[in-house]
Amino acid sequence: MKKMKLLALAAAAVFAGSLAAAPQVGQPAPAFTVKDSAGQVHSLQDFAGKNVVLEWTNHDCPFVVKHYQGNMQQLQQDLTSQDVVWLSVISSAPGKQGHVNQAKSDELTSSRGAAPTAVIFDEDGVMGKAYDARTTPHMYVIDKNGVLQYMGGIDSIPSAKVEDIAKATPYFANAAKAVLAGQAPDPAVTRPYGCSIKY
Amino acid sequence: MLGKFFSALLVSCCLLLSGAVAAHSSGWQQAKHLKAELVSEYQQVMPGQQLWLALHFIPDEHWHTYWQNPGDSGLATSISWQLPDGVTVGDIQWPTPQAFSIPPLMNYGFEGPTVLLSQLTVPADFRGDQLSIRARADWLVCEEICIPADAEFALTLPVGQAAVLSDSATAVIASGNSKLPIPLTVSGSFDLAGGSFSAAIRGLPDVDFQQFFVAATELVDHAAAQQLLFSEGEWLLRQNLNTYFTSAPEHFELVMVSSNGQGYSLSLTLADGTAEMLATTSQGLWFVLLMAAAGGLILNLMPCVFPVLSLKALSIAANSGQRAEQRRDALWYTLGVVLSFVSLALLLLALRAAGSAVGWGFQLQSPWLVALLAYLLFALGLSLSGVVQFGLGLMSAGSGLTQSKGAKGSFFTGVLAVVVASPCTAPFMGGALGYAVTQPPLLALLVFVALGLGMALPFLLLAYLPALAQALPKPGAWMDTLKQLLAFPLYLSAVWLVWVFGRQAGIDAVAVLLCGMVAIAAACWLYGSWQFSRAGWSRPLLAALLLLLSVAVLRLVPDSTAPVTAATDAHWQAWSPDKLAQLRQSGKPVLVNMTADWCITCLVNERVALNTDSSKAALALYDVTYLKGDWTRRDAEITAYLHQYQRDGVPLYVLYWPGQTPEVLPQILTPDTLRQTLERLSSQ
Repeated sequence: MKKMKLLALAAAAVFAGSLAAAPQVGQPAPAFTVKDSAGQVHSLQDFAGKNVVLEWTNHDCPFVVKHYQGNMQQLQQDLTSQDVVWLSVISSAPGKQGHVNQAKSDELTSSRGAAPTAVIFDEDGVMGKAYDARTTPHMYVIDKNGVLQYMGGIDSIPSAKVEDIAKATPYFANAAKAVLAGQAPDPAVTRPYGCSIKY
Repeated sequence: MLGKFFSALLVSCCLLLSGAVAAHSSGWQQAKHLKAELVSEYQQVMPGQQLWLALHFIPDEHWHTYWQNPGDSGLATSISWQLPDGVTVGDIQWPTPQAFSIPPLMNYGFEGPTVLLSQLTVPADFRGDQLSIRARADWLVCEEICIPADAEFALTLPVGQAAVLSDSATAVIASGNSKLPIPLTVSGSFDLAGGSFSAAIRGLPDVDFQQFFVAATELVDHAAAQQLLFSEGEWLLRQNLNTYFTSAPEHFELVMVSSNGQGYSLSLTLADGTAEMLATTSQGLWFVLLMAAAGGLILNLMPCVFPVLSLKALSIAANSGQRAEQRRDALWYTLGVVLSFVSLALLLLALRAAGSAVGWGFQLQSPWLVALLAYLLFALGLSLSGVVQFGLGLMSAGSGLTQSKGAKGSFFTGVLAVVVASPCTAPFMGGALGYAVTQPPLLALLVFVALGLGMALPFLLLAYLPALAQALPKPGAWMDTLKQLLAFPLYLSAVWLVWVFGRQAGIDAVAVLLCGMVAIAAACWLYGSWQFSRAGWSRPLLAALLLLLSVAVLRLVPDSTAPVTAATDAHWQAWSPDKLAQLRQSGKPVLVNMTADWCITCLVNERVALNTDSSKAALALYDVTYLKGDWTRRDAEITAYLHQYQRDGVPLYVLYWPGQTPEVLPQILTPDTLRQTLERLSSQ
């Protein structure tokens, strides 16, 4: 077997990789303890009894900009008014593109008319990696029992064009609606699209 | 703030007037961090021509655009075309991609000058002296940050009597072509189990593959390590599944990249067992059915059938006035023949079902069945050679009833033709029976239907094309010669079965089988000579004894088979519920592996983790008996075993350690899984 190319390292990595449990719809959502832009600490268990939305974001990313033409703010208002906890998560590492401080974060929230419950600074990327968050935007819905109900893209057309929002199937909005109605979203997993998260 | 992004989002689209730049290029469009042009291979085209169009990107250093599967983020470049009626363009021919690792993420795309080729076809009936091409390209260009952009390109090419290559485009087109993966006609199979993607590809060129790219999005975990293993003539691939995986397409493109960077593209097909089984059977199905029909046709030439056919032919030729009635009769006759064959098949299938219900399974893998089939074919060959006549009694019983008239008469003539013809047809029927017992029920039925249709075909043809009657040969001695000649293919089939048996059971067993065949020959000779004289009972009695003897000697075989099969692959034995129960009762550790030929995950596991020296050593060290069950044909006993472990499919690996609950191993085995599990179980 001259070409026996079994990479022992690769095999070990595969094995190790499978040990770090990936988030799974229908299973308890990965726990997190993180600080928001005001320095306040939030844990997933603090929100027991409430539906939680996680939105990974990066204000300079064109795909995020596309949805902050009004679509994202509308979703935030609709859902938070129905007692949903909406956390906008920034996983950009310090020094990386998209990393912001408190002042910048507050400025972004007010200038864009955003309405999240809190903006989370995940500077070390621990929360992002626990959720296997890859893109901005990347959306998750967690139900009142702490079970992950939806993960994936915000809608069905991966583009940076605002005009595509109206044509797309709003996967995330549909999923949030289903979870609020006590139903399982369908689809519950979709392809996330956007810029890569700058861990 | 927003304006800034808009300027990045949209590149001003200036449509170029034809003639403003060289006709083969749209001219460069400068976007942020990337300039783009659309290039034509030809500066003048002609109707009926195919040519390459190239979308040519030159991104800034360290900036990249994306492949058809962009990986964990990013966006594949897309082109939408506006072309004159009848002019068509193919999909983008993607160059071999590069992997961009930005831990924990992975992207697939292109850095540096990039050429995306699409093939344009000008129809032969194209009218007009100009071909105007418009294309809108959408791309995402990224370094650390990403900038989406789009641009419109216009090209106007003169159309003439001759096509004229564009010298200045040649380099761009050639560079595009040189970066395309080499398309291969080989196709591989993949399956998904235990959170992994596994693929097996045979027939790849003899190069050292280092990396692969899956074109389906959100299928593999792009950042996870890739396993590539060359083993027993095929490349085996494995990578973890994507967190966002939902469903796999039936087919997708795979690009394999060798150590020198050359890409090869091929198609991967989902191996789900059912597709595989259908594919393997339908491939040979038409051939088998055609052969069965041909066999049925040959039956008509047998001495016991052909005279009947000749008479029928003569009567048809004589009574041209009753054509309609003759046609109806022919159809009823066909129905009778086909239904007789079908009922024979059903009887056989019922026997087979009853047989397997009591654990007496028909499998070509069983040396017993192979030996019996070898006897059968040999005896039938002897019958054709004239040593013995099978079915004489049936012939005399039925001959009177074929005289009946009308539809019912014709139907039963068909039925009886099958029965009456049995002395000659039996040898062929034997072959078909032998084939049918090893096949799925539906296939066995189809074979018998084809056999019947073949047999009835001459009557049908004669009724509809009476002129054919003239073409029929006259009955005569040639019929007997033909019959004797046809014995030899049967002898050869018997030889083949003896060889199969020898492979399974060894040379000593072959000697036993050949002795048995001599006993069969003697029995046939004794019975055959008695058929003529019908005197005394000693000869048929002796024949029956010899027949029993030939079967009895096979009893000597199973004892010798076990060590022989074990010796050919000392590493595992065939699984059976009894064997497992026995081993467990005697307090031995056992590894059970349920597998199937079409299960790629099973294959990769065996090559990577079970057939390795270290696993073999571990099995020997802990004195573990390794039992393998083959679920390729969805064996019912194995299905029941799988259900016992809440599984509906393979692979399933169960390790039994005496005194402990059975341990189910993961569906994806690593080289150390078995050894580590054994170490742990043995120390508990």
